[in-house]
Order: sequence, then structure tokens, then C-alpha cells
Amino acid sequence: MTRKGSPRIEGYAAVAAISLLAALVLRRPELAIVAAPFALVLAVGTRVAHDPAVTVEFEIETERTLEQAQLEATMLVRAEGAVDRLELLVDLPANVDVDDGMDACALRLGPGQERVIPLTLRCARWGVYPLGDVEVRARDPFRLVVWEQRTSGRHRLKAYPRPIELRRILAPVETQAFAGSEVARARGDGVEYADIRDFVPGDRVRSINWRASARRQRLVVNERHPERNTDVVILLDTFVDVRGVGRSTLEEAVRAGTSLASRYLERRDRVGLVGFGGTLRWLQPGMGLTQRYRLIETMLETGAEPTYVWRDINLIPTRVLPPKALIIGLTPLVDPRFAAALSDLRARGFDVVVVEVDPVPLVDERSGDLGKIAHRLWILDRSVQHAKLEALGIGVARWGETGLEAALEGVRTFRRYARLARG
Amino acid sequence: MIGLGALAALPIARAGESQESLYVWLAALALAALGVAVALGWSVLVPVSLVVVGGIYAAQLTVDDARLDASAALVAAGLYLTAELAYWSLEERALVKGEPGEGLRRLAIVAVLGLAAFVVAVVLVALADVVRARGLALDLLGAAAAAAALLAVWLAARDRGATGE
Repeated sequence: MTRKGSPRIEGYAAVAAISLLAALVLRRPELAIVAAPFALVLAVGTRVAHDPAVTVEFEIETERTLEQAQLEATMLVRAEGAVDRLELLVDLPANVDVDDGMDACALRLGPGQERVIPLTLRCARWGVYPLGDVEVRARDPFRLVVWEQRTSGRHRLKAYPRPIELRRILAPVETQAFAGSEVARARGDGVEYADIRDFVPGDRVRSINWRASARRQRLVVNERHPERNTDVVILLDTFVDVRGVGRSTLEEAVRAGTSLASRYLERRDRVGLVGFGGTLRWLQPGMGLTQRYRLIETMLETGAEPTYVWRDINLIPTRVLPPKALIIGLTPLVDPRFAAALSDLRARGFDVVVVEVDPVPLVDERSGDLGKIAHRLWILDRSVQHAKLEALGIGVARWGETGLEAALEGVRTFRRYARLARG
Repeated sequence: MIGLGALAALPIARAGESQESLYVWLAALALAALGVAVALGWSVLVPVSLVVVGGIYAAQLTVDDARLDASAALVAAGLYLTAELAYWSLEERALVKGEPGEGLRRLAIVAVLGLAAFVVAVVLVALADVVRARGLALDLLGAAAAAAALLAVWLAARDRGATGE
């Protein structure tokens, strides 16, 4: 621990020194008597003050939690020597709050005594938080000497976003070859009935539709839709983060991304991730619980990374974007580079959907006529952007006041009509 | 602040008419310094206020040129108690809540220290009354004590520059 003199030590020494000098100069013993208590306390106090050798261990019950969920933490404090006043200050990062207990407290410890201080923490928002930084300050009974120490955090608390309730998710136009939960458009072995056709040699007897065969006087067999999995790639816009009071487009996008990824992975689909912005991050499509944690943890470390460099999808490795994959863009549609990348992907034949995290409520209209006109122009420009994307066959789910599920339902309707139009 | 005011009142009450207004001004200055120190957390002003009140007392003793003043024990204990209470107030600004009963325990410690200061000062007054020694040896001893106190100030200032033990 680092030893420091308290302001008292300077003050007492100054008063004692000046009084003694004055006593000498003025030849008044009374002034030396006035100096005596200060000098005596200094002499005794600094003599009896010893390093209490305090150790603090900060523990948390788990290193993974959900945002807004409570988390138990404990501080084990031990002192080899007696401490008259031990001040402990837990240095918590922003967005980690104390629900129960105190992050700053003072206590008294005897020699060899140890104490456990419980704390209940809560993460206000998702993210990765370093925990365990504790400032320790020990004082002697005369309060002349202060020992200070800072223990560095060794815990990385990962607060996952609270999932958004989604009963239905978007189905891709085309499925992949592996078994899954999505009913494929193709015909083959499956559960869902598709059609009937004439029997051909090689068809299994159990697929013969006996009732239809009796009516038609020839053998007909049932055709079914197989259940297949799909590939989904979440394309996260990290060019820009529009922030307002208590809300940020990137935070919402990550929350939607983790919820969508979890729902697709539950259906045995393969899910990948591309963070498209100043820094390109990607995760190859995969399935299972491990992939779920990989995806969420990659998204937790995502932040807005602005850049002036033009970026396009040529930077994305081809293996990250498998053919027939459904690409879900999570974006506030503010940066033209992201919109250009979406158009480019659509032009290359990918099935693209945009979940637009609406930034309009977060942007205040400037005062004055010019500000109002600029705001109106910006909103009109956004409408043009939506129309351009929809003309390319990209469904845009506007996620603002309404829930994500309602926004996705709008895209589902758009895709139904868009398919009819193409057909 | 009440204690400091009471301590300053002692030499003011003894002072003649010519010095009284000066002492009152100096006492007001000391009280203001202590008030600012406690209110704004400027610990450096605490010894300033104590030295000013001590200075008034020293000036009164020098002007009166009286025999040994028995109330020096009271002044010594009073100044020490004022300093303890002022620094305690400054420590409380840290907003780190202590355990229940900590305030009472600290108050008891301060009271005991104040009493001990008074007892020590009374003993010294008695000794000074009995031993009326003067001379070069005593002056040198006093100078050495003052130098030691100054050294303590310097060491304390150096310690506050984050030195390890």
C-alpha cells in the first residue's frame, strides 16, 4: 500500500513549528506550551502508524448476465494490522449500478480480521464491463497517515441484451440442403403436403395416395415439401450510431440482431454476422449454442466506427455470404455506403431484408425556417431511399414506435406481394 | 468555529482599547478562513486560522508582558480540539458512509485527545512555572525543536507526493 501523510500532518507540523519559533523569538513559554499537543500527537501518531496490509478480493457470481438482471457480488476484505477506518470505493463502470448495498463504505477492522461485503449489481444496458476495481484507503487512529491502494479488476462481465419476444420470423425465399425447420419450396421427403403426381417406378409404396389412385384409376403418389435449414447473415451497420435520450440506434440494432440470431439458431439455421462500418468484422455462418454465444459476444464488442473511406461489399469474404442466404440488414439507413452495399447484395441475387432502426424520433428539428426545411428534406430523402430499396425487392421493416414483430410482419406482406409481382 | 471564536475572545477581552479592534479584525479573518476551509474543503486554511488566533494570543502576551499565563493550557487544548474537529469535518466531505456508531466512537477519541492535550499543557505550565531557566542551552533546544517541526512539515509534504512505504 502507498503511504501518504494526511493534510492533518502538515497542519499540525506547521502550527507546532510556528508556535515554537514564536516562543523563541518572543521568549514566551506559553507559545511552546501551545505547540506541545500538536508536536506530541505528531510524534506519537507517526510512531504508532503501521501499514495494515489490507487485501481486497472482489468476486461476482457469474461473468455472464442479462441486461437489467441482478447480479450478486462480494468483497472480501482482510487486514493484517488494525485499521481504525478503512474506506472502500468500488469503481463501477458507467451503466453498472448498485441495486443493493453500498459501493462506497467505511469500516473498522481488527488485526487479522476479515469481512465480507455483499453487493447487488445491475447492468442498465448490454455490453462488456470490466469489474473489480476497488480503491482502498486505510487511516490510523490519529488520522495522520493514509495508506492507499487500488486493486485492478480481473472480471469481464458480459451483459447480454434482453431478447425481444418474436413469435414469427422472416422465412428466406430459398432453403439450404440440410434438415431444419423451414418448409422448402422444393419437393421431396417431408411432412408438409405439396401435390400429387403419377406413380413412376422407384416411388415408395407408402407414398401412394390410395384414395386419389382409386378415383383416377391409376397410381398416384403424394409429393411433400421437405424441411430444410436456411442460412441467415446479419449485416450490422456500424458506420453511424444515432443517439438520443435513453436510446441509440446501434444499441437497438444489436438487441434486434441477438434476438433474431437466437430465433434462427433455435430452428437449426446457420447464422453469420457481418459488422459493416469503419472496421469490418465477420463471423462465418454456423449453428448451435456455441455459435449463438459467438454471435452475441461479437455483437457486444461492436461499436460505431466512423470512417470517411468508401467501403463496399467486395471487402466481405465470400464464404461469409453463402449462396441463397437471407441477409438481414440492421441499420438506421443514415449512411449512403450501407444503402449502396444493400443494393449491391440484392443485385448479386441475395435475398435481402432491411430492419430500419428509425432514427427520426432521435433527431431534433432545428429551430428556424432553414432548420425545419432541412429536417423535411432529410425525411423526404429517407422516403426516396426506402422507395429505391423496395423497387429492388428489398423489404424494409421500419422499427420505431411499433414493436419489431409488427415491423417484420410488414416486410412479410411486402415479400408476399413482391413474389407475386415477380411471378 | 465556536471554539475558535471563544479562543480568540480570550486575548480580545484582555486587550487594551488600542489593540482591541485589530484583534477583532484578525479573529474575524481567522473565523472566515476556517469557515472557507470547512465549506470548500481547503485543508490548507485550517492551520492558517489556528496560527492567526495563536498570533493574537502571542501578541496579547507580548504587549501585556505578563508573568506566565496559566490559561495557556486552555488555549493549547482549545486550539488542538478546534484543529481536530475541523479536519474531521473535512474528512466527512468524502461521503463514504461509516458503520453505525462510528461517529460516537470518533467523538470519544477526539474528547480523550483533547483532555490529554489539556493535561499535558497543564503539566507544562506547572513545569514552566517551577523551572524558570533561561540561557543559550534552552534557546538552542527550542531552536532544535522548531527545526524538527519544520523538518516534519517538509517530510509530510514529500510524503503527500505519493511515495511508497
